[in-house]
Amino acid sequence: MRVLPRFRDRWLLRRIPPASSVRLNQRRIFIMPTAVGLAFLVALLLMLLTAINYQNSLAYGLTFLLGSLYLVTILHTWRNLAGLVLQAGGSIAAFVGEHALLRVRLESPGRGYQAVALGWPASGLRLVDVPAGGTVEVELSLPTQRRGWLRPGRVRVESRFPLGLLVAWSWVDLELAALVYPQPLIAERPPGGSAPESEDEGTLTRGAGVDDYQGLRAWQPGDPRRRLHWKAYSRGQGLLVKDFASLLGNDPLLDFDALEGDTEQRLSILCHWVVDLSDKQQPFALQLPGELAGPDSGQAHRDACLRALALHGLNEEGAK
Amino acid sequence: MSAKPGIPRNSLIWLLVAQVLVILPHLTHLPLWIIGLWLGCASWRIQIFRMRARYPRSWLKALLMIGAGFGVYFSRGSLVGLEAGVVLLIAAFILKLVEMSTRRDALVLIFLGFFAVVTSYLFEDSLVAGLYSLLPVTALLAAMIGLQQSSLVTRPWPTVRLAVSLLLQAVPLMLVLFLFFPRLPPLWSLPQAGGQGVTGLADHMAPGDIARLSRSPELAFRASFDGDIPPRNQLYWRAVTFERFDGRRWSQSYASHLPQVPEWQKVGEPLSYSVVMQPSGQPWLFALDVPQVATGQAQMMSDFHLQRRQPVNQPLMYQVTSWLDARREATSAPESLGRALQLPEQGNPRSRAWATELRRTAQEPQAMVNALLKHFNRQPYHYTLEPPPVGSDIVDDFLFETLSGFCAHYAGAMTFVLRAAGIPARVVAGYQGGEVNPAGNYLSVHQFDAHAWVEYWVADRGWVSVDPTFQVAPERVEQGLEQALAREQSFLADKPMSLLRYRDIGWLNALRLRWDSVNYGWQRWVLNYQGDQQSEMLRRWFGKLDGQTLGLGLVATLGVLIAVLALVLFKPWRRDTDVQQRLFRRFERLLARHGARRHKGEGARNFAERAAMMLPEQAPAILAFVRIYEAQRYAQQAGTADDLSGALRQVRRALPWRLSRSVDRS
Repeated sequence: MRVLPRFRDRWLLRRIPPASSVRLNQRRIFIMPTAVGLAFLVALLLMLLTAINYQNSLAYGLTFLLGSLYLVTILHTWRNLAGLVLQAGGSIAAFVGEHALLRVRLESPGRGYQAVALGWPASGLRLVDVPAGGTVEVELSLPTQRRGWLRPGRVRVESRFPLGLLVAWSWVDLELAALVYPQPLIAERPPGGSAPESEDEGTLTRGAGVDDYQGLRAWQPGDPRRRLHWKAYSRGQGLLVKDFASLLGNDPLLDFDALEGDTEQRLSILCHWVVDLSDKQQPFALQLPGELAGPDSGQAHRDACLRALALHGLNEEGAK
Repeated sequence: MSAKPGIPRNSLIWLLVAQVLVILPHLTHLPLWIIGLWLGCASWRIQIFRMRARYPRSWLKALLMIGAGFGVYFSRGSLVGLEAGVVLLIAAFILKLVEMSTRRDALVLIFLGFFAVVTSYLFEDSLVAGLYSLLPVTALLAAMIGLQQSSLVTRPWPTVRLAVSLLLQAVPLMLVLFLFFPRLPPLWSLPQAGGQGVTGLADHMAPGDIARLSRSPELAFRASFDGDIPPRNQLYWRAVTFERFDGRRWSQSYASHLPQVPEWQKVGEPLSYSVVMQPSGQPWLFALDVPQVATGQAQMMSDFHLQRRQPVNQPLMYQVTSWLDARREATSAPESLGRALQLPEQGNPRSRAWATELRRTAQEPQAMVNALLKHFNRQPYHYTLEPPPVGSDIVDDFLFETLSGFCAHYAGAMTFVLRAAGIPARVVAGYQGGEVNPAGNYLSVHQFDAHAWVEYWVADRGWVSVDPTFQVAPERVEQGLEQALAREQSFLADKPMSLLRYRDIGWLNALRLRWDSVNYGWQRWVLNYQGDQQSEMLRRWFGKLDGQTLGLGLVATLGVLIAVLALVLFKPWRRDTDVQQRLFRRFERLLARHGARRHKGEGARNFAERAAMMLPEQAPAILAFVRIYEAQRYAQQAGTADDLSGALRQVRRALPWRLSRSVDRS
């Protein structure tokens, strides 16, 4: 039973290779009658029987007209996907349990497209119209269950327009991915909080964690004044900031190792505090085994921390 | 698309329109309460859409269904049969409207609608009805398209325009299918549309019957002759003979239903023609004496009339060859002679006495007939559509008292007298003459052309036809009923709307004849394009075709047509549908001719800046083009292709024309 899907996936991989922008062409569009289309054919058969039994030319005529319409619709349904360009359009991260949003841009290089459905059959397809020569962005939402990168795989794009008798579809791999953060868990802030600020050159006596020295860097507006490296300034080296020094400053340190419980639980607690402290615009540092972030504040810091939490221990490289 | 998607407004509008259009042609045979039902259901559905009413509960639905069933039963007397079936279909079509809540329901409704259109053809299949039916079909398609459209599309006209364009694209395929799809004989018999209300000859004739028929301007049949149309006075279209007389009514004898071909000899030149008959509700066909038709169409009965197994309830086309001078049962006395002498025991004593007296003076049957015709000619007999009433001895009263009557009176009286004198005779009913249509070179015979004449039998000559009406009103035979009744102005007097009354208005008559000829063509070439007709037509065009070749040819033709349509739709010769891309490529080619070639992988802006340095004079135009291009392409800014092509034009204008070649060489 599992041979077939695997075979199909491999076949699709060859036929529609993953790319961040895919133009639908004849190799990529499949077409089949829908249930409605089959019912329509049965209705046509009934009409034909009526025409035969009553020897009625007009009934023949209407039957043939509708039958021809069915054939013509094949072209139109197919045309309603052909040439459409799909592009991955970034994503909005979510916490586990929320819906992640993935953006897909539909671009029409020529004529307009009506009622193009996009999404994953399990979570429902979104219906959009693409104006002639225009672009439409669709936000697809997906439920999240695990932290890490959410890679929904191939997106189904389909169209039943104009008559709903046939469905043209394609499975497009736009390499869509959304980051899923751990689910925040309200708990006590991890102990081990702040370390006293060191005044000297920055040699650190904290046992493990010496490797966290980040050196001096140029001062940027917004850096706290107390972290300025005055000695270097007096030597005429310009304004430098002791970057590592702040690690042991008064800002709270969210330390993975200081927490108890299994990994996921600890990550969830850290996640809560990252969000909480960021909301209060309070600088903090995040200490995960093997990596340290901060101390810092601001949106970029928050995102970096959450990303680190999301990807911690997962053997995944960060996607674009 | 949730599990139960609702019905978009656009679709609902077109469904309501389609329902009106579908039901309209059915109104001629639907009970009136259907209109009330539709109005009720439609307004209910609109209220549901406006969220002012709820969908019916299931018990109400059941009640409505049962109510409709009873309604059909009471108005049609049954629940089976075509008429009742169609009423039920329409009732279901209407009731489904109220119940409809999902797209699936709407599709059921649309399919019911298509079927209702097909059933309307069984009642009326004229050219006008056929063209009209395109309207409900288009509306149904528009509703179907509306179901697929996203709910943002609210304007109804583009939807119906798309429906029309789809239909137009389907027409060539439809024509191919119509021509080549093999026609099968009926697979099983179904209830036919009843011939109720059909006017035409009946299987019996009382004195006033044909006169009544003569007030009807309806068409009886049309005939096309292979050669010239014969003169009017030879056009005696035979339908039935009446051999039994009960003192008042002439009727068909049971023996004339015997499918026993009587003996006859072909004499003279044959006359070939085809007849398209209107539904008559009777099994007999019309033909000139003595006819021969292809076996299977009809059989000749023992009294020389043609009869089918089934009554003619749909327009029927048949080919006939007739020998006008044939000799019928001339060699031996036929068995039917006894029937041709039958008279009631009593009644009409004066006529009987007169017959005996005449026979005494004229020994030979022919002399007797001549004497009778001379009597009609000499005495003041009067041809009229409104004869005065007669008593119980109808022949006596007509011959000796009123002296005025219609063709049935003359034919009946003459047959009576001949029989009383011992000469076998019978009344023949049919049509006489017809209207020549110069637009199509064919003959239209209407109900008012109905006629009755006499046939008598003489040894060695067989059956001889004679028309006593000719002696009284020769213009009836030579010109037609209108001229024969010119004096009393009674031609179609109670049908003021009939165009046939206004034949003296030249342009109107020309228009009427042309329209009639169009309808005749429709009947001959479209409605009668069935089994034989089709195989004959295909043989004429393609020679002998077997089923396999026909099937392959059909599929191949369809394939070619679809391929042509695909070419028209996709325009593969215009691969580059991306306007901005196309314009940029033209921009590139233009600059290349002036020496600025884009490197592989060089971005549009870098290329333009480099080109601007190479062509400093044209730099503003080049940079302006690239600015618009980038804005449209990458920043998704609004702007039309015209802006971009305008900018390109500026670049071209800025560049010196003659420079193109010289730099290109470098």
